[in-house]
This record gives sequence, C-alpha cells and structure tokens, in this order.
Amino acid sequence: MARQLEDAPIEPGRIETGGMRVEGVGIRFKRNRTARRNFKDLFAGRHRRTRPGEFWALRDVSFSVTPGEAIGVVGRNGQGKSTLLKLVAQVMFPDEGKVDVVGGVAPLIEITGGFVNDLTVRDNVYLTAGLHGMSKREIDQRYAEIIEFAELEDFTETPYKHLSSGMKVRIAFAVISRLEEPIILVDEVLAVGDKAFREKCYTRIEELLAGGRTLFFVSHNERDLLRFCKRGLYLDKGALVLDAPIREVVNRYNADYGV
Amino acid sequence: MTTASLTPASRGWSPSQRYVRSLWLLTTRDLKVRYSTSFLGYFWSVLEPLVMAGIYWFVFTQIIRRDVGTEPYIVFLLCGLLPWMWFNGALSDATRAFTREAKLIRSTTIPRTIWVARLVLSKGIEFVFSIPVLVLFAIATGAALHWQAVLFLPAILLQSALTLGIGLIIAPLVVFFRDLERAVRLVLRFLFYASPIVYGLHDLEHLGLDMFAALNPLAGIISLYRAAFFPEQLDWFAVAISAGMSVVLLVVGVLLFRGSIRTVLKEI
Repeated sequence: MARQLEDAPIEPGRIETGGMRVEGVGIRFKRNRTARRNFKDLFAGRHRRTRPGEFWALRDVSFSVTPGEAIGVVGRNGQGKSTLLKLVAQVMFPDEGKVDVVGGVAPLIEITGGFVNDLTVRDNVYLTAGLHGMSKREIDQRYAEIIEFAELEDFTETPYKHLSSGMKVRIAFAVISRLEEPIILVDEVLAVGDKAFREKCYTRIEELLAGGRTLFFVSHNERDLLRFCKRGLYLDKGALVLDAPIREVVNRYNADYGV
Repeated sequence: MTTASLTPASRGWSPSQRYVRSLWLLTTRDLKVRYSTSFLGYFWSVLEPLVMAGIYWFVFTQIIRRDVGTEPYIVFLLCGLLPWMWFNGALSDATRAFTREAKLIRSTTIPRTIWVARLVLSKGIEFVFSIPVLVLFAIATGAALHWQAVLFLPAILLQSALTLGIGLIIAPLVVFFRDLERAVRLVLRFLFYASPIVYGLHDLEHLGLDMFAALNPLAGIISLYRAAFFPEQLDWFAVAISAGMSVVLLVVGVLLFRGSIRTVLKEI
C-alpha cells in the first residue's frame, strides 16, 4: 500500500495546528566553500537551473502531515534528512517549493546551541526557553520540572561550562522537550548521554506523542524508528523515494543498502 | 506526566511582542555575560572610555599644541568619543553577528534582524551607562549645560538607525566575503580620524573640508550630542544629511538583509 509520490495529490485547504504541507521543495548548496562568489550569489533567488558547483540536497519533495502523526525519516548519510528537518523547523528556507507548518516547532536539533558557557544553568534555562517563545511565568511554572528531569538539582547555580557533556545534553533536552509546541523534531540528539537517560528521553517522547504531538524523527536506529513512528519517509539522493508505513520503509532501506 | 493540552507557548504573543522580547533576552544575556564574568563588571563600561579620553586629553592638551576643539576640551572630546565607541563597538561586533552565534541561529526561528539589532542595543545601553563619565567631567570643569541637551534624544535615535542600517549591510556580506571583517576594522579606524571627534566640524572650515566632512553621517550626530555643552557646534545642515543618510542606509540594510538571509542561513 505504498503511496508513490506522483499519485499522492496534495489536497488544498486549511492545515490544522500541528499539521504541515511540503510542496515541491528543493534546496541547493555549494559543493565547495571556496567556490568563487559574486554579489549575484548573495541574492540567489529561486531559479530552477543548477549553476556549476552546486548540487540539490533535496529536490521535488512533497508530502503532507496531519496533526499527531509520528514520522520517521530514513536514509543514508548525506541524503538530505537533516536538511529536511531544518526546512520543517524553518531555520532554513527552500530555494523552490513551499513549506507550510502550522503551529510552533520544538526542535531537538543542535539543542545545546543556545546555551551560554558563562551563565549559570538557571540563567540558561530562562534564556533558551524564552528564545523559543515561553513567557517568564510559564518557565517559572516548569522550572522545577525541567531541573528534576535533567537531574541537575545540585547544579542550578553552576556555570554551564563546568557541566559534563552528558549533563549539557540532559539540560538541553529537558528544556526543549518542555516547550509545549505541537510539533517535535528529533535529530539523533539522543546518541549521546547514558543508557538510563536515553530511556528517560524516549519515555518523554512517548508521553508527548500520547499528548497528540506531531513527531519528526531522524535516526539510523531501526528499533527506535519502529518504536515511535507509524509512517516513514525514505530519502535517497535528495529525492523522496518512498512515503509508506514505517515497516515498509525500513524494509526497503535494508533491501537497498543491505544490513 | 502527560500534557494533553496543545497550547503552543508562543501563542498570545504578537510578532512585534515576540521581537521585542527576544531582542531584550539576547541583549540582557550579552550584558549579563559581560558583567558577571569580569571582576570590575559595570565599571568596564566606564573605565574604557575614561582611559581613552585620558589618553587623547593628555596627547592633545599636554603634548601637542592644539588649536582645534573648544574648552573644556575633555568634555568636548567625550561628547564625540562616547558615541563613537558605541558606533565602533556595534559595527565591529556586527562583522561576527552570524558566525559567533551560528549554532543558536541554526536552531531558533526568531526574526533574524535581531542578531544585528541586539548588538546595536547592547552597545547602546553601555553608551548610556557611560554618560555619567561625561557628567562627572562637565561638573569638574564647570562646563555649562544648555537646553540643547534635549538633542541627546534625537541623536541617540539617529545613531541607532544609522548603526543598525550599516550593521544589517555588513553582517550578511561578511558571511560571503570573509575579508570584509578586516576591511571593516580598517575603515572604522580611518573613520575615527575622518569624523569630528578629536576636532569639531568648524575646525575644517579653513581647509575647505567642512562641507565634505558633513557628508559623513556621524558629523551631524556628534554635533547634536555636542550641542548640550557647545551650542555653537550644532550644524543643522550636517544633521539633515545625517538624518537622510541614516534613513537611506536603514532601508538599504533591511532590503539587503531580507534578500540575502536565505543564502546566509545555508552558509553558516
């Protein structure tokens, strides 16, 4: 019952909160950083043609997501998985096509990025949650919960730089996963951290799913994909090759790149 | 614990509210880091212009026989030097606006102009914090304060617009042309002497350069600041040019920033 792309028409109309529609999306990058630049590159608009030294990381990708769906993105390294997530998170814009996401996104991508080394754990929690749109009162209400989840009760006044790398990921995950946004994006952040904490994160993701969140999950781990996701998107060479139930997608991936 | 209610945290914030809030969060973060990591904290905002003013005062009043500027020279100098430090600090930081915060920019969706605006704001706040230095010297030297002191407000406004406009032009360009980072520093050093900071606009009259110097948008802005203690320094022609150029540069900055942000986000 694989829905091949070309015959999956995208029905027009309103998208509900937590849903999204990606239509004919493409994005291209420079192949090497030192390629000569000129002022025209700077305003590189939406031309369909590929210029020399550029490649399409994603091309003609279309799908739509209804609120509450759990989607696993599968593909080898460098096939556009993370780029797709960034487009959905709207921290990058496509060169062609359209990405419509209704409702806020809690991006578990580069989660430790917003943390400042010289500030305390407490200041960092307020800063990061604030930048993701939480009001001070909302943070006040969730603060204890966040710290408890990260198991950092004794370190709230410690400068962030003095935390261990595991602790850093813990506090970052604790903050972002408390954002109350209808869409969550997870990009293999959980590869770090010890087993017990990873299990705790997974439990948290399951809670969020049970609460009706939409999940976008990028992983190479078959077990995790099957555990969380119902539907799979298989990306290969920048194209969406298969959009089908996760089991089918994982089988196809294994068949293509035999494990 | 299950959170069944789907209430996006950002709900209830209008875009402009969210802009102001994010801008404020990042600005206070900068100041907090600056003040909490150093022993002297706030006093750095005062110490830096103080030492600079001390040096220039010594060179220009004790060593070199100077026939430019007005007495008391230290007050005259600070009126130009303090705004210059704001301008200079914000623009040198703007060259690294994207590179220094790349990770955070790649993970949040706040309006991107904030990455430049926060630099203008935090350096502007430090400028305001350093005004007591000026007041102190004005009292010590007995400089008379005139009603033109109210012109500080339009001066601050104009300088914010000008600095933001130039910052919005520089920040994305540096991502593509890394050399610009050093070029900007060089231009700023040149601009320090090309602007009426250690001298006044009128001191250029006998060289026939005063009209030319008025084309520098900083000239009008500094003349507004100086009018508080030296009303004769006020030059409305230069102010009009400053205002016009600030608006034009801000518009150009916003357009260039908007047009290039898509590519910038891919590059960082």
